Amino acid sequence: MSKVTTMKQAIEAHVHDGDFVYIGGYICRPPFAAIHEIIRQRRKDLTITRSNATDDFDLLIGAGVVKRFIASFLSLGFYGLGRCYRRSIEKGIPHKIEVEEYSNLSLPMMLMAGAMGMPFVPVKDMVGTDMMKVKSFMGDGKYKVIDSPFDGTPTLLVPALNPDVGIIHVQQADENGNAQMWGIGGDCKHGANASKKVIVSCERIVSREVIGKDPSRTIVPGFKVAAVVEEPFGAHPGYTPGFYDVDFPFGSLYQQASNTVEGFEAFLEEWVFGLEDRAAYTQHYVERFGYAAFKGLQAGFDYGYPVSYSY
Amino acid sequence: MHEHPNDYIKPELMACCGAREIRDGDVVIVGTGFPTISASIAKHTHAPRTMLMQESGVYDARPRRPALSVGDPCLNPGAAMIGGLTDVMGMFLQGGWVNVGFLAGSQVDKYGNINTTVIGDYDRPKSRLPGSGGANPIGALAQRVIIIALHNTRRLAEKVDFITTPGYIDGPGTRERWGLPKNTGPSLIITNKALLRFDPDSKEACLASYHPGSSIDEVVASTPWDLKVADDVHETEPPRAEELKALRERIDTIGLIKVYEQKGYV
Repeated sequence: MSKVTTMKQAIEAHVHDGDFVYIGGYICRPPFAAIHEIIRQRRKDLTITRSNATDDFDLLIGAGVVKRFIASFLSLGFYGLGRCYRRSIEKGIPHKIEVEEYSNLSLPMMLMAGAMGMPFVPVKDMVGTDMMKVKSFMGDGKYKVIDSPFDGTPTLLVPALNPDVGIIHVQQADENGNAQMWGIGGDCKHGANASKKVIVSCERIVSREVIGKDPSRTIVPGFKVAAVVEEPFGAHPGYTPGFYDVDFPFGSLYQQASNTVEGFEAFLEEWVFGLEDRAAYTQHYVERFGYAAFKGLQAGFDYGYPVSYSY
Repeated sequence: MHEHPNDYIKPELMACCGAREIRDGDVVIVGTGFPTISASIAKHTHAPRTMLMQESGVYDARPRRPALSVGDPCLNPGAAMIGGLTDVMGMFLQGGWVNVGFLAGSQVDKYGNINTTVIGDYDRPKSRLPGSGGANPIGALAQRVIIIALHNTRRLAEKVDFITTPGYIDGPGTRERWGLPKNTGPSLIITNKALLRFDPDSKEACLASYHPGSSIDEVVASTPWDLKVADDVHETEPPRAEELKALRERIDTIGLIKVYEQKGYV
């Protein structure tokens, strides 16, 4: 049964106000087409999570769709601190979001625990620091310290996370949602599998037969997937290995725009509200920066030996 | 004897100081910029079997330019292994396989605790910073942690506003009480003025060497705690010719390291 749909329909059907949403990516493969659609549909009160958040989470926070953030990190990387994140926390613009602080070890482990049906997971970080002192909306459920039942040593436990919906962008998927990814993974595999259902955004839809030529690359099986959306250029201004490079000038453009509330609003109007979908976005990109700039982002090819699973 | 050209900039000296901490065969977890450059200098000079990994899931990358983030596209082609966060931070770091971690801090205190969460009060911060990311687990679990910091009384502190990443926390014995692995913790703070090493008994950062152009007095005056001076304090060895050659001709051919001058590392 085909689950192929448009991003508009996928977000309408599967992302609701107040939902807990996992959003994959690590500069590598952020599902920007989905993020823009969530903003266009003016969702509100979302709880969002993933390790190492960047411009995509900053955009969601600035657009006012976020109530809570289960966080390990948020910055614009090379371009410094997240402007919208700072305005939200420091000045309450557009409103102050609630943040639960974890790290790039504990948070992915919590998603892994969620994916595996474990109630919680022991981790060896955070102890002894002020990460233990700050608790937000998760309250005492943020963590527990116990004496290990095996050797008595103090052991930190953090809870499993099971988001209502996970959204990832991958290189290819079939129409049933078997999703294949390569390159830097971040917490994508566990985050998607921890979620109660998954929206798969992909550069290309391929046949089930193509999936079967390299099944070790599948990170989410079709039975967990609610919707499949073909969105070429769907991770821009992030990158997708084998398809297009990260767009550094656009990163600078976002930084400049998000420096002020007015600039950020203008950015949203131009790149999100003013455009119907990712195809219109790509068209606008080409018109604004020229075909050469668009073409310049396209990845080269460097193949290794083709893999064979034959026996 | 090593040849020491004198046309270097301060960030190059700092990167070389980091490189010299790495022993051949070390597994090093790196962030972007400085850490990658430092570890790569070691790999191209005295420690060719150094192995680098990034928290995003990459092991032994072969980037053609310095990575601008731990998720940089240039880390993908040529790496020996790419997984995800639970692979590098879980299997390798928490599994106890990482010898050296490199961290930078917005604020660093005398016990090597690092703040990357907030400046000011947590609930009403003057500045909201990015948060832990990989820093807390690297500080908790890497055997030797090297910290990069700006040397002034704002960036160094008697006590940080918020301990994001553990150094020696409250002093001797604290890491042990929290059950952090034995023989882990910060080993060196590299600033733009000096190298500070941790006293094995007091766990306080002490002046080990001052960089050429600086002095004991200047370093002490720029440090907001009562900085102890090591008995064998000396001038930091400037970059060696072979270190600079590796840095400029093989690792950072586009001169990315110069951005650290704009960030105040002068």
